[in-house]
Amino acid sequence: MIKFFFFITIFFSNNILSEPLYKLDSVDDEKRFYALIKEIKCPKCTSGSIASSNAPISEDIKLKIIELIKEGKSNEEIKIFLSERFGSDVLYNPGLNKNTYFLWFSPILFLIVLLLGFFLRKKA
Amino acid sequence: MTFLLRALILGLTLLFFTFFYLYINEDKYYPGADFQTSDMPKFELYDLYSEKVINQDNLDGTFLINVWASWCITCRVEHGFLVNLSNQNIPIIGLNYKDEKENAIEWIERFGDPYKFIIHDLKGELALDLGVTGAPETFLVSNGTLIAHYRGEVNDMIWKDVFMPIIKKEGLFKND
Repeated sequence: MIKFFFFITIFFSNNILSEPLYKLDSVDDEKRFYALIKEIKCPKCTSGSIASSNAPISEDIKLKIIELIKEGKSNEEIKIFLSERFGSDVLYNPGLNKNTYFLWFSPILFLIVLLLGFFLRKKA
Repeated sequence: MTFLLRALILGLTLLFFTFFYLYINEDKYYPGADFQTSDMPKFELYDLYSEKVINQDNLDGTFLINVWASWCITCRVEHGFLVNLSNQNIPIIGLNYKDEKENAIEWIERFGDPYKFIIHDLKGELALDLGVTGAPETFLVSNGTLIAHYRGEVNDMIWKDVFMPIIKKEGLFKND
């Protein structure tokens, strides 16, 4: 009897009946997919990756990414594809180009100015 | 040297304040507006009313694409303005976004039809390619190139501040 219940429990458990939400061809692709969706901002959200968002557009983008991965596109190509459509602010990691020089280098500039100020100050 | 440094620090601070002051007070700044140009994507979708297939070749000249849906409340707010625009002979093509056919047709019957024709995009394929994040959104298309994109409700103010400048600059809708 206990055996019977054991099998019933196993057979009807959620884990046996479950299947992956996003189907990809290989484990590597799956790892790539789950890493990638954390790096892309949901265009409808103030701040949140598409991995964390249930918005219909995030769902669409996720499915599109799966399609692109299956077509054999690289991460770089997928990011370019998305930023062409939704603007460069869908990428959480801003690329180094002439619009982002200030963003990347201004902290170093400020640090240099502050250090100069610190070392060159007049000692009373 | 110290003087130079003081001047530099003061100057940078002032620069920052000026920058933010100008940024906040810029009248033309609309977060939903985007003037990046790109080519009209290829697509193949049905007309809302018939089984007619519409693709990128059916679109020519200068027109607006308005993304709407019957479940979208802001679209209803926007609708009156679109009817006005179409009465001024500005061609608008509807892109029905993730909507059931019956609901969409009923909506059009109830609120009026400003559209030349309506593309039925049930899964949002073309919308995704256009970079649509929701409804309503409006594109200005001229000869196969998207030249303006506005995310949100188009009204008198948005039309004047976002669309009119580029229409004047490019000299569009002249022969209407």
